[in-house]
Amino acid sequence: MALIDIVSRRSRLDRQFDQLRRMEEAGQLKAATGSRFIRKFLNNRLAVVGLVIFTIILLASILAPLLTPWNPTEINLRAINKPPSWEHWFGTDKTGRDVFARVLYGGRISILVGLGSALVSALIGVIIGCYAGYVGGWVDAVAMRVSEAIMAFPEIILVLVLVSILGQSLFNIMAIFILGGWCGIYRLVRAQMLSLREEEYVQALRSFGLNRALISFKHMLPNALGPVMVNITLSTAAFILQEAGLSFLGLGVPLAIPTWGNILNVAQDLTVLQRNWWLWLPVGTFISLFVLSVNFIGDGLRDASDPTQQG
Amino acid sequence: MLTYIARRLLIIVPMAIGISFLIYLALDLSPGDAVTRMLNPVQTVDPERIEELRRALGLDAPLVVRYWIWFSGVLQGNFGRTLTGGVPISRILMERLPATLELSVVALVLSSIFGAILGTVSALKRGSATDNILTVAGMIGVSIPEFFFGLVAILVFAINLGWLPVGGRLLPSYTTYWDHIPNLVMPALVLSIMMTAGVMRYARSAMLDTLSKEFIKTARSKGLPEWRVNLLHGFRVALTPVVVLIGFRLPILIGGSVIVEQVFQWPGLGHLFVLSVRNKDLPTVMTIALLSVILVLVVSLIIDVLTAIIDPRVRLGGE
Repeated sequence: MALIDIVSRRSRLDRQFDQLRRMEEAGQLKAATGSRFIRKFLNNRLAVVGLVIFTIILLASILAPLLTPWNPTEINLRAINKPPSWEHWFGTDKTGRDVFARVLYGGRISILVGLGSALVSALIGVIIGCYAGYVGGWVDAVAMRVSEAIMAFPEIILVLVLVSILGQSLFNIMAIFILGGWCGIYRLVRAQMLSLREEEYVQALRSFGLNRALISFKHMLPNALGPVMVNITLSTAAFILQEAGLSFLGLGVPLAIPTWGNILNVAQDLTVLQRNWWLWLPVGTFISLFVLSVNFIGDGLRDASDPTQQG
Repeated sequence: MLTYIARRLLIIVPMAIGISFLIYLALDLSPGDAVTRMLNPVQTVDPERIEELRRALGLDAPLVVRYWIWFSGVLQGNFGRTLTGGVPISRILMERLPATLELSVVALVLSSIFGAILGTVSALKRGSATDNILTVAGMIGVSIPEFFFGLVAILVFAINLGWLPVGGRLLPSYTTYWDHIPNLVMPALVLSIMMTAGVMRYARSAMLDTLSKEFIKTARSKGLPEWRVNLLHGFRVALTPVVVLIGFRLPILIGGSVIVEQVFQWPGLGHLFVLSVRNKDLPTVMTIALLSVILVLVVSLIIDVLTAIIDPRVRLGGE
């Protein structure tokens, strides 16, 4: 029973394997070219779908002026709360601003907050983690205590506490995300460094007399980059969701700047929720799709950078 | 075992004190103090009287002494008063706590059960259509902003279908405890659906990990029926890390429900927290933050001790 069950359970990978075997028997199989990492990533359907959606939304936000003639902050009292039409693809809001333009331009800020905070916090985390993991000493001790203290706060509580102290602005929001975000990557890199430090190639480099910075950043760091990349994508997704959540609470980026969260903010009003679906449904879908695509990419990167998974 | 607990305490207690000091510092540096809050903004008061009052309350003492006065008050459950209204913070907390606990516990229980079951099913049918659908559904679950999900739920179930109330908890017309269950259904379900995805993912990998172990092969080769192998041998072992994960989610519940409470106007701690941040009511903000940190530290201590009991390698390995 069990054996039949296992044999009959055929997945996409089984079919791919069969096809490869057929090609091999027919002598059509060529030696694999290109990076193994890229091949593994491209072989993951969801990751490719994610990459496509990600690229489309990213390009649409960057190229916003080419895609829409409207100004996202221009008030037009002659076209208030208009449903979607050829002129206004996603309709207009209660001050007559074009929602499609706001979604595209808002994407710029939301993606900047998400991706920017993730990249900067990764940079800080990698630098401190590399140094702390390889050299140790008081830098490591201090960084460890600080990161423990930061991680003792539930995420949203820490963010809101800092918002209440620092106040709301685009810069502050990014700074707060970075302050809360570097610890995860620091710990990850530090752990990788601690285990890599004992590898023979590192000892060999040390015996050649290379300096510590060169060994840790040039020779050890590339071996730890896989998990870092995964972490960057996942924190990008998390930061975009957090920005949206904060702006929904009215405590994120100031309302004057269009971001995805700020556009969604109007849906707190039940009459808007009921009557003006175009004000919240498209932008909610945009956020969800974008975060989903980032999560798919992160998952693909995780599988592709994991040497224990063959493919 | 005792030395292990002592060692963990040696890390956690100084950290709690350090964080509480930082929190006090933020409070202390914010404009205004207890005296300016007592004053009637309309009347003008003689500055000398103000100084006198400050001295009487010990506000002219050095920072460390003031911190100690505040901290010993906190230990006795005296958190000071709110900026808006001047109500004792501890009283408001006691009013709000039951609502948050009710919502969080229901969501935690539901998401743990659904997550563990779906994750196990997903692992047992690895590579099948069911597994793929569940994995993608889980990804979608963590990608939709929870307030968006909540808003759509309100639109469909409260406004269009009219099955459930839009929000709130205890309406004046309610007399018994059970009357507010309809108010609880939507926030609890929305919160638990968002949380199920995480548990599911973790349960799946824990189960896959367990199923590849030798003792599973042994059980199969003894000719045990497949369901016995999976449930009695596999699931039971895989459950341990999942339970640890669920324990770790306990403190996240206070933070996790912040947005959902806002969407459904649920009068819990999260709702209070957002309100206080909006009103720049730092004493209340900092008290909730401090309590949530202490909760996180205590729960992580308990989990560390539990894992050390289950797995001797943890406590013998040391740090």
